[in-house]
Amino acid sequence: MAALQRVAQSSVSTTASSYGSCKGGGGVLSPSAAEMAVPDRFPAGLRVLVVDDDTTCLRILELMLLRCLYQVTICSEATVALNLLRERKDCFDVVLSDVHMPDMDGFKLLEHIGLEMDLPVIMMSADGRTSVVMRGIRHGACDFLIKPVREAELKNIWQHVVRKKWNGSKELEHSGSLEDNDPHKRGNNDIEYTSSVNEGTEVSLKGQKKRINAKEDDDGDTENDDMSTSKKPRVVWSVELHQQFVTAVNQLGLDKAVPKRILEMMNVPGLTRENVASHLQKFRLYLKRLNGVAQQQSGIANAFCGPADSNGKLGSLSRFDFPALAASGQIPPQTLAALQAELLGQPAGNLMPATDQPALLHASLQGAKRPPVEHGVPFVQPFIKSQSNVSKQFPQPVISAEDVSPGFGQWRSNNRSTVAPSNYHGGSSALNSNLLMGVVQQEQRQHDRTQQQSALIEPCRSFNVQPSCLVVPSQSSTGFQAGNSPASFNQSISFNKSTVIDYSLLSDQSNNSLNIGHIPTGNLKITGTLGGYSAPGSISPTSCIVNADNNSTSYQNSTATFSDSRELPGVLHNTSNSQGFYVDKSGEMLDQGPLRNLGFVGKETCIPSRFAVDDFESQMSNLNPGRIQVENSGALVKQEPIVDYVDNEKLGIPILQQYSSSDFMSPFTD
Amino acid sequence: MDLEKLENDAIDGVAQLQKQLVDYSASLFEEAFLDEQFNQLQQLQDENNPDFVVEVVSLFFQDAERLVNELAKALDQQCVNYKFVDKSVHQLKGSSSSIGAQRVQRACIAFRNFSEEQNVEGCVKCLQQVKHEYLLVKNKLENLFELQRQVVAAGSSLPR
Repeated sequence: MAALQRVAQSSVSTTASSYGSCKGGGGVLSPSAAEMAVPDRFPAGLRVLVVDDDTTCLRILELMLLRCLYQVTICSEATVALNLLRERKDCFDVVLSDVHMPDMDGFKLLEHIGLEMDLPVIMMSADGRTSVVMRGIRHGACDFLIKPVREAELKNIWQHVVRKKWNGSKELEHSGSLEDNDPHKRGNNDIEYTSSVNEGTEVSLKGQKKRINAKEDDDGDTENDDMSTSKKPRVVWSVELHQQFVTAVNQLGLDKAVPKRILEMMNVPGLTRENVASHLQKFRLYLKRLNGVAQQQSGIANAFCGPADSNGKLGSLSRFDFPALAASGQIPPQTLAALQAELLGQPAGNLMPATDQPALLHASLQGAKRPPVEHGVPFVQPFIKSQSNVSKQFPQPVISAEDVSPGFGQWRSNNRSTVAPSNYHGGSSALNSNLLMGVVQQEQRQHDRTQQQSALIEPCRSFNVQPSCLVVPSQSSTGFQAGNSPASFNQSISFNKSTVIDYSLLSDQSNNSLNIGHIPTGNLKITGTLGGYSAPGSISPTSCIVNADNNSTSYQNSTATFSDSRELPGVLHNTSNSQGFYVDKSGEMLDQGPLRNLGFVGKETCIPSRFAVDDFESQMSNLNPGRIQVENSGALVKQEPIVDYVDNEKLGIPILQQYSSSDFMSPFTD
Repeated sequence: MDLEKLENDAIDGVAQLQKQLVDYSASLFEEAFLDEQFNQLQQLQDENNPDFVVEVVSLFFQDAERLVNELAKALDQQCVNYKFVDKSVHQLKGSSSSIGAQRVQRACIAFRNFSEEQNVEGCVKCLQQVKHEYLLVKNKLENLFELQRQVVAAGSSLPR
């Protein structure tokens, strides 16, 4: 069904933008803005994303949420929603998702979100059986509503947002190991955001104030771009960082990989053992999930296994991906197989020793043997074998990749756009990135849920950032080269593609921005049709409807630029790969740089509040303007026509503009 | 003509219409065609969203029709895909409960049980029941909306 996406704003919440609006990137969450925004109107203006394939329910929920004075965005396809979230990481406060959806299981979506964006997710279902609810909780849902949902139940969903924020702050306090500025930044963002929230709820967190001060002190530092070492609230596990991590784990052997040793091997200044430990845990969970997925997809996996011989374990990982990918139906099995072959074909050197993966998949998962994780195959993808391929792969239009299997990377997964099966030359790379992302995301989610520890491992985490993934476009020389530090590749790669890339790209380089935006080709479409809401010239009064299905480029109303493309689907972003994402362009995409910052959340664009992406932040500033553009144009945010979008060449993703391709490279050069 | 009499007649007419509406509405609830959820929807409707209920109900009927057709086809297969059947019934159950179409929802629950047992005959019967109920409630709602239209056209507001 056509993905219906709409942003509706309650008439009252005109100031909702202030409340964490995604505008202005960094500015959004600034305390001042936030405070000024709606300090006393909280929870009014809470930005909610509703995902449900049932249009009746969607419409009802939308109106109910509007009545609660929330800012609502509705979406009828999970993949589109995920893309949307990736593109606008900081544009939502909470996600409401149905469990049973045709294109993606609600629980999977839940995990993706948890890993990548760490947003509170509330599940809904007409099926109120205990087993189903239990599953939801296991997957990390903050709450579970049984349909039919009543308005009264929706009124209180803000509590989950606040709770998460506060827990996040608490982590800050506890994670004090490194006092790098980066951490502070992140912490600050969180704090700021929390402060704003607190303002509304009249809760004061003294610690926050202190942190904010500390942060300011550290502002001088500019280490953001690199792997963010230990940030207070979270470490940004950029692609590079993750790559190093993966390398270290591979060398040590998954079984023997202990945080201390990994830390030593990684030799990253500012990284703490805790950061590594947390990341490792997530990684393990991720692997485990992959394993689970792989098992499920045994059929597909088998097919894939073949090529993976060389990589032994890696292959297995790849397998995971593929199955997942294939399962998702997004990527045709053949494509996956091809990708896998590519991935696996790559010298195993880069890839983490296959052994790791299985081992990694130990049951670290808390009790939840989750069903196959589709998160894009995590890490293990062989390093970019063909970086160049990779870049090519993602041809911008990625969007066509309706089939992009979710496996690919989290980033892409939902976005159909990114992964265009056909495009994948290097398929594998893309996969890799996806995998990485997936892994990262998975773990992230797991961990985040359980403990918000540093490692904000964003999708970038993909272990082997296989260059193939979108990300690596031109840069083959840089990181992707398998020869180079695998770590670097992985990081960038995986992310770029998938949604993750968005984030990172944005922050670091423009690339990212695109990626995120990537609206799956199929999914997000900001079709001009907009549901008749807004006439092409005008944005519908309060709702931006994005029809994922339509590839129509016209972005909501005015943005004609969007259209065409390919990708644009989806809501806002037309980011289409044109830029950052996929590499295709100049290969920038994969620039590792963006990935680095990727972290899962695309902090960059929207207000990185949460993730305090250091890198992003600095870069974000550039973005912000862009971001705003996106915002405006994107239907999601508010109805403003996105004229700016078009700017980006490809998709008109404004954000992308900000970054320069060179940035991308930087991470790798590190 | 006596203007006053005309006016009185008009007022009476409107009052009658309103009464008719209230009675009809009450009967629908009594007979479980509709339930509390429908009230919620009506309360969501306001001047900003004046046609909300009609809109949502229309969406529901579109979905329901599609699902019923798909289910009929699926049950007609040699090898019934129960996973699909289950999924579709679940969907129908969810959307019918969202608008408060209680009888339809109940029929779906029964349907689901047969589907879990993979009892094709039971499923076919249930599908008939579901179809019957949904057509019934569709008709009832159309009547209700028509009455509401008349009341509004007569110049008064709908009873809450």
